Order: sequence, then structure tokens, then C-alpha cells
Amino acid sequence: MIEQIAASRCPRCGTVVAPPARLCPHDPVAMEPLQLPGAGEVVSFTTLHSPPEGFRSPLTLALVQLEGGACFVCHGAEATGLRIGARVAIEAIDGIYYFSHLGTLDRARLFWRRAGHAGDRVNAITRSVVKRVWKGRTRVEG
Amino acid sequence: MLDVWVSGAGMTRIGRRPEALQDLMAAAAADALAMAGRERPDLIVVAAMNPEEFVGDGNFASSVATAMGFAEVPALRIETATSSGAAAFYAGFAQVAAGLHRTVLVVGGEKMTHLPTPKVSELIGRSIDAHERRYGATMPALAGLVTRALMARRGVDEREMSWVAVKNHAHGAKNPLAHFQAPVTLDDVMASRMIAEPLRLMHCCPISDGAAAVVLTVERAAVRVAGTGQGTDTLALRHRRALTSFRATQEAARAAFAMAGFGPERVEFAEVHDAFTPFELIALEDLGLVPPGEAGRVTLDGDTALDGRLPVNPSGGLKARGHPLAATGLAQIVECVWQLTGRAPGRQLDKRVALAHSIGGLASNNWVTLLESR
Ligand SMILES: [Zn+2]
Repeated sequence: MIEQIAASRCPRCGTVVAPPARLCPHDPVAMEPLQLPGAGEVVSFTTLHSPPEGFRSPLTLALVQLEGGACFVCHGAEATGLRIGARVAIEAIDGIYYFSHLGTLDRARLFWRRAGHAGDRVNAITRSVVKRVWKGRTRVEG
Repeated sequence: MLDVWVSGAGMTRIGRRPEALQDLMAAAAADALAMAGRERPDLIVVAAMNPEEFVGDGNFASSVATAMGFAEVPALRIETATSSGAAAFYAGFAQVAAGLHRTVLVVGGEKMTHLPTPKVSELIGRSIDAHERRYGATMPALAGLVTRALMARRGVDEREMSWVAVKNHAHGAKNPLAHFQAPVTLDDVMASRMIAEPLRLMHCCPISDGAAAVVLTVERAAVRVAGTGQGTDTLALRHRRALTSFRATQEAARAAFAMAGFGPERVEFAEVHDAFTPFELIALEDLGLVPPGEAGRVTLDGDTALDGRLPVNPSGGLKARGHPLAATGLAQIVECVWQLTGRAPGRQLDKRVALAHSIGGLASNNWVTLLESR
């Protein structure tokens, strides 16, 4: 299964934000919780060469438009080959979200998911590979 | 609403300054009051973004008023992050326009070069949404995200955004109060080191100390405040409905032009918030000064240079004059007043209508001020 991301939706204007917020940024209205699939499209990205204290240099940050509406900030391994509009998957490691390129396997997985099939074994494999890659690249805690 | 006039404008040299922040602000205020021919204002509006952290002083309106020898003059402080100076101008304008005070001194300043750069970045970065900060977002990081999208979606290229730096450094070289007074070449800019891709060091404004002040009055003077407007947007960049334009600028411009009763076509020169050089290109289009998609081209064509059709940042802008945070919005207005009253030797324009544009935070709280000479 693709990782689920906690979000919230404004019942008045339909704005979806992640992580969830109590009130809509645009209306004084309580938001309703919802879960979004951790997959989407890169809206923009940057690589910081002098990141703030507590982060390893270089630090790649991306804005990802999730399926379902919210724009999400996350970390990435590197920006090489990355393009605006690229499809990425998002996963949480130690409470911080990271994106990775959606490869052929992931696309198939998304398709199966939409088509209502399981594909669970493939998912589990992809997930563990992604996590292994990321574990070596988490931010310096401090 | 009464007509409001600017009768005085003064500022310190911007850069690395040894003086106390209060002394810098007192010096700028003394210059503005001298030009206005007034010894004492009826009210002082103080702009400072974060003196508590930068210099360790609080109760700052009283602190500044006392340092000026105006302990008995009412004083208050205004803050909207990096646009605090423009916000204080608005507060002073509103006081005079409402008839509450006849003469108001507006003074802004910031001092931070004595701190290490990472500390300064962290303090400025506190104006960013807490969740985005948790991911390491700094001002340059968010500006890098905006710039990458601007290049991909609106066709702005690196030459265009680099030329803004070349132009503004050329202007700064003619301004004896500018932080940077040496011209730079396109190669210098495009070879400078990466900060937050695609932004390079020389696409970013420096860290500066300095202060600026104006005197506002109901008494007829050489420059009239034609309009002023505020625009706002979400604190979090990820919540924005647009990434390659700033709603806060568009709304501030709409409000200021509505008050003035004229549109952008009457503006003859502008001081805009080029904390990052692509922001000057975004501002030109958000303000309606150039048609959508043309800011890069008109910049390369020289339209926004001192001798161009629409000079932009004749002072050198944040890029070359420097960016002492809460002083900046007022330093822009000081430049406009000096240009409108023939006080800008070496870079003097012959123009009558000016626009000043100030960005607070990552464009969450912006201001536009319109000034015209009598
Ligand atoms: Zn809403």
C-alpha cells in the first residue's frame, strides 16, 4: 500500500492542507480530517548548499502536489534528474517525509491500486527498498 | 481623509555599522526632521522587526524615542516582518490623514551584522511557517522554490534574473549610502556560488545595518502621499494558490491605486523589494508596471535602468543599497522622496510619480506606497 498522509479539508472552500490544520487558512471554519495517498507531482524543488543548523548539506527540499489536493513540503535525496511535474512517492521516516521518483513498479502499483487489485507483495518490496535508500540519508539530528 | 505630505526624509549609510541601533535611528530621524524644518514631532511610529533578538533590547518605541531626546513624545511600534518600515509608514499616514496628529515621525532600523550569518538567517527565518522551518526551509530556500517554478512555468531565464543584480549594483555604485558601491558583471553574478538552487549568492541581498526615517504632515509640502495599500497571503508557501506571483503584492497595489485614483500607467519610477533578484521581475508584473511575461525582456532591454523608460531601484535596491529589514520599506520611500525633490545627485531622475513596494516575510504581508511631487 502507498503510505497515507494525514490532511484536512475545508468544508466551505474545499482547500486541502497537509499536515492537518484546525482552521482553514482562508476561512474561520473547522477543517475535516482526511487521509491522502503519499503520491503526487513535484511543483518545485531546491537544493540548499548552506542549510540551517541540524541539517546535512546539500539539502533538497520539494513542494509536492498530492493526489487529492494538498501541497506538501518534503525532503529528497538529490535533485539530479528531477523535474517539475515529475511523479514522486512520499514516505515518512522518523516523522519526516521524503520523496522518491516513482519508477515503473510504482506506477504499476498505483494503477493496480486504482483498479482495485492488491499488488501487496510488490508494494512491500518497493517500500523496503525505498526505506533502505533513505535510512542512510536522514537529517543529522541536533 | 486629509491630504498627507512628506516634508522630510533621511537615512544612514547602509552596511556594517558600529553604532547602536537606537543611535542609527536617531541619526536618520534627525536628518528627516532637519529636511522638514521641525525640531519635534507630535508622534513617533517606530519600525523594528526583531530588536529583542538582534540587539537584545525591548520596549523599543520608548527606547528609540528616549535615545532621540523625545522621551515625552508619544511613540509606538509596528511590525510586519521585513516590510515593517512600510507598515509603519502606513500607520503614520493613517494618524495624519485621520487628523489625530499634525506631524508624525516614522523611523525604522535594524542591526544584525554583529551576529554570525547562520544566526541572522535563523532569526529572519522565524517569519516562515513552523512546519516548513522544520524541514529546513529558510528565506533563500523558499525563494529558490519560487524561482525554480518561475523559470519552468513562466520562462524566466538565469540571464534575466542575473541582469537585475548587474543593473541594481550599477545604481548602487551611484548611491553614496548604498551597502555595495562597486558594479558587478553578468559573469560575476552567474559564476557566484549556489545558495538555494537555482539562486546564487549574487541573486540574494546582503545582511545590512541601517536606519531610515520620514516626516509626515498635514501641512502642504513638496511630496504628497497619493496612496498606500496592504496585501496579505498565507504564512505557509505550500498553502498559496499561486507560486509564481504574489497575491500580497497584487492586493497591495490594487488598494494603493484605488486610493490614488490612478493606475500603474502613471508610475514613472519604482523602488521594489528585490531581496532575491527574481522577485524584482515578479513585482514588475504583479504591480502592473509591465505586461505579464515581459519583465525579463524589459530588464534586458534596459527599460528599468536609470536612463530607461521606467527606472526601477534607482537606489540600488535591496540587492545593492542593502536590506536592514525594518529600515528597508522606509529607505525605499526616502529614495523616492529624494528623487522627487532633486536630492539624488549622481543618479537624479526627472520624474513626478513614484511607487515603493515592500515584502513582509515570504510575501505574506506586503505594502505598496504611491508618492507624487507637487
Ligand atoms: Zn476554506
